[in-house]
Amino acid sequence: MKKLLLLVLAALTAGSMYAGGASEAAVAQAETLQFALSGNPNTLDPHATEGTLTFQVLKSVYDTLVEPDQDGRIVAALAESWRVSEDNLRWTFRLRDGVVFHNGDALTSADVAASFERLLEPAFGSPHAKELAALHEIRTPDRHTVEFVLDQPYSPLLSALATGWSAILPQRLIDAQHDFAARPVGTGPFRFEQWVRDNRITLTRNEDYWMPQAPQLSRVNFNIITEVAIQVQGLLTGDLDIIDMVGPTDIARIEQDPRTKLDVGLSSLVMVLAINTRREPLSELRIRQAINHAVDKQAILDVAYAGGEVIGTFMDYGDPYYVDFADRYPHHPDRARRLIAEAAPQTRTLDLVLPQNYEPHVRAGEMYQQMLSRVGLDVQIRLVDWSTWLSDVYAAGNFDLTVIGHTGKLDPDSRLSMFETGDNYVGWTHAQAAENIRAARQEADFDQRRELYRDVLELLAVEVPFVFVGTNYRHIAMRENVTGFHMDAKLDTYDLRRVRLR
Amino acid sequence: MKPQTETAARILLWLTVGYIVVLSAAAAAAPLLAPADPLLQNLPARFAPPGSPAYPLGADDFGRDVLSRIIYGARAALLVGLVSVGIALAIGLVIGLTAGLLEGPVDSALMLLMDAVLSFPTVLLAITVVSVFGYGLAQVMAAIGVIFSPLFARIIRAETLTLKHEPYVMSAYALGTPLRRIVAVHLLPNMLPKIVVQCTVAFALAIVIEASLSFLGLGAQPPQPSWGLMLRNARNYLFDAPWLAFYPGLAIGLTVFSFNLLGDLLNELLQIRR
Repeated sequence: MKKLLLLVLAALTAGSMYAGGASEAAVAQAETLQFALSGNPNTLDPHATEGTLTFQVLKSVYDTLVEPDQDGRIVAALAESWRVSEDNLRWTFRLRDGVVFHNGDALTSADVAASFERLLEPAFGSPHAKELAALHEIRTPDRHTVEFVLDQPYSPLLSALATGWSAILPQRLIDAQHDFAARPVGTGPFRFEQWVRDNRITLTRNEDYWMPQAPQLSRVNFNIITEVAIQVQGLLTGDLDIIDMVGPTDIARIEQDPRTKLDVGLSSLVMVLAINTRREPLSELRIRQAINHAVDKQAILDVAYAGGEVIGTFMDYGDPYYVDFADRYPHHPDRARRLIAEAAPQTRTLDLVLPQNYEPHVRAGEMYQQMLSRVGLDVQIRLVDWSTWLSDVYAAGNFDLTVIGHTGKLDPDSRLSMFETGDNYVGWTHAQAAENIRAARQEADFDQRRELYRDVLELLAVEVPFVFVGTNYRHIAMRENVTGFHMDAKLDTYDLRRVRLR
Repeated sequence: MKPQTETAARILLWLTVGYIVVLSAAAAAAPLLAPADPLLQNLPARFAPPGSPAYPLGADDFGRDVLSRIIYGARAALLVGLVSVGIALAIGLVIGLTAGLLEGPVDSALMLLMDAVLSFPTVLLAITVVSVFGYGLAQVMAAIGVIFSPLFARIIRAETLTLKHEPYVMSAYALGTPLRRIVAVHLLPNMLPKIVVQCTVAFALAIVIEASLSFLGLGAQPPQPSWGLMLRNARNYLFDAPWLAFYPGLAIGLTVFSFNLLGDLLNELLQIRR
């Protein structure tokens, strides 16, 4: 009897101990967000890269003077207010009080000036310096006021300041040559803790964040997982809370599972089949028209990109400047064959270059090859790695056809300025388009700008240096208990400030 | 070996040989045998399950016929096996014979080189070579050929060292028979069994490495039908369309198993003859 009692007691103690341990673990886990990121960022220096992955992480570490809100309007962030002079040449920002960097320094106008001087320093070679080329001088009349003085009116300025690469860094560390590429220090909702390359990036809560009641989470783990199947599996087992890759066939499974939910929205990508107009026979308009008629855009979107909206010009479907030219070149293989017969019946084999690391683009490429072969164009696929694509295809123009998605921009100027000269990867420009792009940059009125860009977009839609396929749907999947998640569609970044795990 | 085991081994040998013959015939006559064009996409038939009227083994994510792609894939697999083993054998013969006949410092230097190549993990070395010279089947075949050459060089050197001291070789040499003739008539035919066994094993390994590299996206390039590439494509649909992974996996497994078994059985049978 005594023995039995002991046994029961032992069992109870063990049970309660176990229960205690479990609930503690549950609390710790509930405050840590496990986020699956689709790749390893090339750097964590916001001034030094155009890589989206970098900004997806740094959105939680840095702040900008202004930022887009959930509806895409630009609102105050580190600057609590701003005003523009009559002649549009002087922008004055009043900084928020009591903002502190992760290293303890208080935010002042000197930090803002130092950040933009770093970005614009020619020796630093930032890929974003050209977007602030109109900036003449940054003045700091007092600790809380910053003035941007421009050479000429530049409407995209506010959008540029709201983009992740306009992050504000602490002046003291800039002067000390701190290694921002490996250890970012900002004012953002989370402090950088650790980056295990190709594995994970960990952030902890910034207790002194300026936005009230944010952030909610105590930790964020960005787990670098490049395989869709592994991300989905991790979500279904509960190891991951949010995943940023969902395959077309996973959608139904995630929607049906009561423990998971799907956040579907239009991305701001312009998915294209780019055509090198410098090369024969693609310099011939009728061949480019034929390629456009040969492509079934909806099929490409559905099979390769998990669905989307068909477009007809170089602007994403949801953009306020979007104009619908989707019907300009409908899927019409017979017309494509006729155009080829007229223009260049004996064409050489075309070189279709695909970025190997982007599986959707590779899949789309296989479909384009088939669609073009059906109208009599012989296409050979060549896969290259990402750095080769950037240097050999995008920079050097060594391709006939290539498949890519152009990421979203807050201002149409950032998207269209590449066509101001023919020095872009497809080699297309147009005198009227260039003139309108220059005029729109100095125009402050939205309707006026929209008219100017409309003509540019129509020229692109008619001369088709691309097949403008569409804007795809972006699927982010998460556990049922995740609330408050917001993704900025234009910038492709994740706002985790309001995220909670119920 | 007991007589029964030997009979069983012979039956297994013929089964294996039978599979290899069928596979080779299918590869050779692919355009006649395959029910469809392996590249033809038919989007309405995406993910048609095995047993569908036009798709006996199902259709893939582009609506391409899996059976036709498997048949054409046999071409890629066997081609890689043949060419890479051919390259390895050619390099191995030159280095093995030179080392075995000359001995001394030349032998040491050549064998050091071969050991250096062997000391790298095979797939890792293949990935390095392909990353430098570009993706594609041709690069893969060349890489595997070079990487496998030590396997042949070492055997051929060892055999040369043994055989050249055999009385009949010594007497041929004493009689003034030209070296070319000694190699062709006395050395090569006598080391042939070991080379053949090594060939079958290397053949199986080459197919696995090609499939691995194609799975990683470094070997065969889309839309080329290759078993490894089919597996790569299938990994996203394991839940919804498991047949996309099953059939190419089965093809790789059976083929590699057959060539390995062939090697083992030939080894045993040839040793009995000795």
